[in-house]
Amino acid sequence: MTRFLNLFLAGLLLLPAAGLAADSEEAMMQQLQKQIQDLSEELDELNDRLNKTERHSALDRIEFTGDLRQKVDSLKLDDVTVNQGFMVDFQQLGQDVNNAVMAVYANPMEFPGPPASGFNPPPATDPNAGITQADVDNYWDAYSLLTEGFPAMAAQFPEFAQAFAMGQLPAKGFFGTGVQKSDHENEVLYTSRLRLNMAAKIYENMKFSGRLTMYKNWGDSTGVKVFDSFDSFTMDGTNSGNTTGDLLHVERAYFDWSDIGGSNFYLSIGRRPSTYGYPTNLRENELRGGTPSGHVVNFNFDGITAGYHLEDATGIPGFTARFCYGQGFEAEYGNGSLFAEPDVKDTHLGGFNIDLYNDGYTVLQTTIFRAWDIADSFKGLAVMPFADHDGDGIPDDMNNNAYISRFQGQADIGDMYLGSLTFIREEMSGFTWFGSLGWTRTKPSAAFNPMGLGGLLYDASPVMRLTAINVNDDGTVSPEFEHTGDYVKSDDWDKDRDGWSVYVGFQTPAPLGKFGLEYNYGSEFWSPFTQAQDDVMGSKLATRGHVGEAYYIFEINPRAFIKVGALYYDYEYTGSGSPVGRPKKVEDVQDGKEFSLLPVLDKVWDLNASVTMKF
Amino acid sequence: MKKTLKSVLALALVLVFAASVLAAEGGNPRKGKYLYKKNCKICHGSGGEGGELTPMSKTMAQWDRFFEKMDHDPAAMESLSEQDLKDINQFLFDFAADSDQPATCG
Repeated sequence: MTRFLNLFLAGLLLLPAAGLAADSEEAMMQQLQKQIQDLSEELDELNDRLNKTERHSALDRIEFTGDLRQKVDSLKLDDVTVNQGFMVDFQQLGQDVNNAVMAVYANPMEFPGPPASGFNPPPATDPNAGITQADVDNYWDAYSLLTEGFPAMAAQFPEFAQAFAMGQLPAKGFFGTGVQKSDHENEVLYTSRLRLNMAAKIYENMKFSGRLTMYKNWGDSTGVKVFDSFDSFTMDGTNSGNTTGDLLHVERAYFDWSDIGGSNFYLSIGRRPSTYGYPTNLRENELRGGTPSGHVVNFNFDGITAGYHLEDATGIPGFTARFCYGQGFEAEYGNGSLFAEPDVKDTHLGGFNIDLYNDGYTVLQTTIFRAWDIADSFKGLAVMPFADHDGDGIPDDMNNNAYISRFQGQADIGDMYLGSLTFIREEMSGFTWFGSLGWTRTKPSAAFNPMGLGGLLYDASPVMRLTAINVNDDGTVSPEFEHTGDYVKSDDWDKDRDGWSVYVGFQTPAPLGKFGLEYNYGSEFWSPFTQAQDDVMGSKLATRGHVGEAYYIFEINPRAFIKVGALYYDYEYTGSGSPVGRPKKVEDVQDGKEFSLLPVLDKVWDLNASVTMKF
Repeated sequence: MKKTLKSVLALALVLVFAASVLAAEGGNPRKGKYLYKKNCKICHGSGGEGGELTPMSKTMAQWDRFFEKMDHDPAAMESLSEQDLKDINQFLFDFAADSDQPATCG
């Protein structure tokens, strides 16, 4: 191109010289020559500048875009209930008390109460009679239990004491210290979310995509929370939607290899675009953010997608079938497997994710996945509220020093299916509406979490034996328990459990922007993989109960918007977002009929405002 | 603490009013897509005599410049009203090479 232009300019220099005779023509000629010379110099300069730009473009192989969201949430939590309990072997307790009475009371019929005939005298060690120091200690333990611990416990828990005395307690049953209900308010909770998107063209039919995400609440970069819900667990699958400090996490990193062999087949491997899929992108005020339906999957997965575009073959716009595969848990590597072979398997997930119709304005999508060998815990970090001092895996005491613990799966608790059918339509007026149905089915195995969290949607409560009752200075008691090694499972623990959910809503153009309303309901056993949805109260779509949301988006310009919204959660069952443990009716926990290791939420208001800038 | 919340809400209101000043009027991209398919793809479809053009052929600024200058055969445009052109412009702008793209694999 440059050579051609130089020849052209030289030609222009030669052409007019022969035909001009007059002086004026000569002057014109000189002026023209000067102009051509100026043009030539400018062209050289432009050429230099273009070369630099071309070189920069060639070397700048990755494009960065991103967005920054600053958000404030104001939370009001009504009737947060704590009702923790231990499964106690009451039959054993009866025997233990009986043995103590026999050892201490001269006339056992006088228990409870001060003995009229006096106590048995304490034994003295006598090697010849086989009486050891342990026997002496046991006597005094029994004496203390009957004269101090038991009366104090009966005073604090009279109904329990009466039921025990009347023989009305089951052989094994729960003992709890009582229901504690409280209201909580967090008037301002600020969060910052920074997302840096990366894109690079590797070759004509190959590209790389990635996203780095930082999501933090102001004033906290520990990256680890006290474990009070599934949302407080720092782990691989939810790092992008869970406040984890000032670190940039790799939310996505994958390549696409398209048109393989000239066909419509494509392959994509890496950390998947598996968050913010249809229709959850509407409330985010962004285009489709991920491949699977956001109703059932909003989770960071490492895996593979093999897809085939069927639009050409069928004439149906956007018809694409995809087979997806991922691994959610690695059982050996990194788990100390060289010390001892673990008794768990890897967790795999596979299935189909199909865009049945997608012209950009009308979308029909279905997702069907199966997860095999689900572990009782992902690998992750948390500060557990309780500590296990004796190493039996059962919490014994409060974790007052806030030790951070690394968790990993210890049991294969079963398999799970997930499915959804999602429809979205944007009308010519810009009014967009959607409806989505979600379904989950769990197929539990006999294995369960040994710490007492449970199996796949059932409880497996460790059976404890009461070993001592310590009386505190204020007269309250602190019972001591030890694990018997037994567990009691929920009734019908081996049943398959179906959960379902409905998610509907609309978004309409409104003065200065958009207005949206959404509603979702999740049933008792609803267990989707949406825990990376970044609502501060935990994924709204994982809720076992009702959630309503209203929001208004003010478009400042095409690259910035303000969102003001309100979310109302009405939880019907416990354990939203966790497939481990039996969901219980919230009101049953509040009434003391059921127990829960973690605090139970009832009704929550989340008023929020955010400003988001895309760049 | 309540004072802080009130301050935040006040700031949000200020920003909302600021937004009303800065918000821009645009065409309807949904209508624009329909009009683009009906009117433009005849010549600018795959193998068309005007050369293939998709929204991704230009950047957002380049599409805006194109509609500003309207350096195009007027005969092909005469059936389109000013609002139609605005709608097409909005569609091409929204789906331009440097616009937000759906973040899916494949």
